[in-house]
Amino acid sequence: MSLRDNRKRMLKTFFHYLRAVNAENIKEWKIELTYKPDFIRQFIEPFVYLFPYFLYGFALLGGRYSEHLRSITGISDMVAYTFIGYLFIGFLNTACWAMGFSLRKEQWFGTLETIFVAPVPRWVYVAGMALHSTCHQGLIMLIQAVVIATFFAIVLQMSGIFMALSIVLLMLLGLYGLGIIVAGLTIALKQWWVVSEALSTLIVVVTPIAYPLAVLPLVLRKMSMFLPTTYGIIGVRHFLLGEELVIGLPTIILRLFLILIVWLTFGMIVFLVMDRYGRKKGSLSIY
Amino acid sequence: MWVIVEEVRKSIRILLAYPAEVVFWIFSPLLWVIPLVFQGKALVGAFSSTPFGSLAGTDEFIPYVLIGAIISTYMFSAVWSMGNSFRDETYYGTLEHILSSPARPAYILIGKGLYNSILSTSFVIVQLLICVFIFGLDITLVKILPIFMFLLLLIVGLYGIGFMAAALTLLVKEAHGLLHMFEYVLFLFSPIRYPVEVNPITKAISVFIPLTYALNALRGLLLNIEFNFLKNSMILLGIDCVLIPLGLVVFHYVEKRTKTRGTLSDY
Repeated sequence: MSLRDNRKRMLKTFFHYLRAVNAENIKEWKIELTYKPDFIRQFIEPFVYLFPYFLYGFALLGGRYSEHLRSITGISDMVAYTFIGYLFIGFLNTACWAMGFSLRKEQWFGTLETIFVAPVPRWVYVAGMALHSTCHQGLIMLIQAVVIATFFAIVLQMSGIFMALSIVLLMLLGLYGLGIIVAGLTIALKQWWVVSEALSTLIVVVTPIAYPLAVLPLVLRKMSMFLPTTYGIIGVRHFLLGEELVIGLPTIILRLFLILIVWLTFGMIVFLVMDRYGRKKGSLSIY
Repeated sequence: MWVIVEEVRKSIRILLAYPAEVVFWIFSPLLWVIPLVFQGKALVGAFSSTPFGSLAGTDEFIPYVLIGAIISTYMFSAVWSMGNSFRDETYYGTLEHILSSPARPAYILIGKGLYNSILSTSFVIVQLLICVFIFGLDITLVKILPIFMFLLLLIVGLYGIGFMAAALTLLVKEAHGLLHMFEYVLFLFSPIRYPVEVNPITKAISVFIPLTYALNALRGLLLNIEFNFLKNSMILLGIDCVLIPLGLVVFHYVEKRTKTRGTLSDY
């Protein structure tokens, strides 16, 4: 077979996979739109989730601004600081819940085995879920950002938007690795939500979402250095609100690159091992 | 009576098949407090706040949110576990078998409620013991009886809400998201994380939520904050008297409706 034929075949396979990824994305939109109350709920929920953090801050401060926060981060507006953190941590839900949940959901629907015999590799399926989740979560976040920023009159540095989005992209790719790990563990552990919830709770604790790294104990601070969310959140807050950086910008970008390579590779390995384990043990259809 | 006992036994056997879940439910409410502790430290630079004290009756916000987190276990149990109990039966493929058995669905529902109450109370006891031995929470023996009285009054009211949540699931099927949101609404409008007096809207709506009175009373007992014992217990009792019959009636109506329309087995 000539080199040209080889390239043609590879290209054909690539487009075949892309079609499968998109088919998975479309399928998810269709399923979600079938349950309309739940679909609408997903756009309202982030607001209801966020307000307790604001109100807790108001109760502690007796107002919106904190001198202590300004002394350690350069930002005194508690609402803006908390909002940016929780806005972008929304992608953690994409990884832990939407991607991790995907296989368990297919099992509940009784379609897992059907999907697994389709003539595409397993990662194509997870990539489809990732595409769908990113589009869906992105839309939710956009609405949330516009409404909250308007309601609380939060002024963002628009000049930093491109850099902020670039950092979010790197963080997101790293989180996909986590999503793939959770999806893989679901095959073996079945009770997926415990894995998802435990992981996301730990990440939320360690990531400087509503507080800077400075307030974390040393052990947790060290742990946070291995998470893409740490660099993602502090980077985005620096570009959008002007938070003083405790880690240099080139270091943030370099570490995000390293984390995404390690997490994605590790995620794929875990997924493939678990997939093989599930089929070998015959536990794919076990509840 | 046997139906209720068998339902509890069956649920315990299913739970024991997933032991990770038990560990998760014991520790997660305590873990959820940690971000609030760090957020507080970042905002005020200490573990006490005077503005917080003027609203909550105590300057120290850590014990305040810790008690809120522990007691919210009941809220999760009532809304999430009860709401999903019949949805789980759908996933297991056993919903039709259960509802077509010669047992009244209300007994099955009460069985599920009893199982969740026993489970949540065990979790709360372990969490309180962790707080006593690790965080130095002070509980004198004389307080135990009133604590259990308020917990009981809270559980009854919340399971009235739980029965309605179970009915909602039969109606809209994929209700886990809606249940989650309902949880967040309760978080927003009841004094779990902060005193509701911080905002006039949260203060006004919290009046209708049983968690408000139970948390006021339990924090009063555990943190020695002044509260009206008689008023809080009578209001909780009144709410219970309304919510339990209401929950059962709503469930009965929805269950009948799904059977009449033939949507019981719909996904």
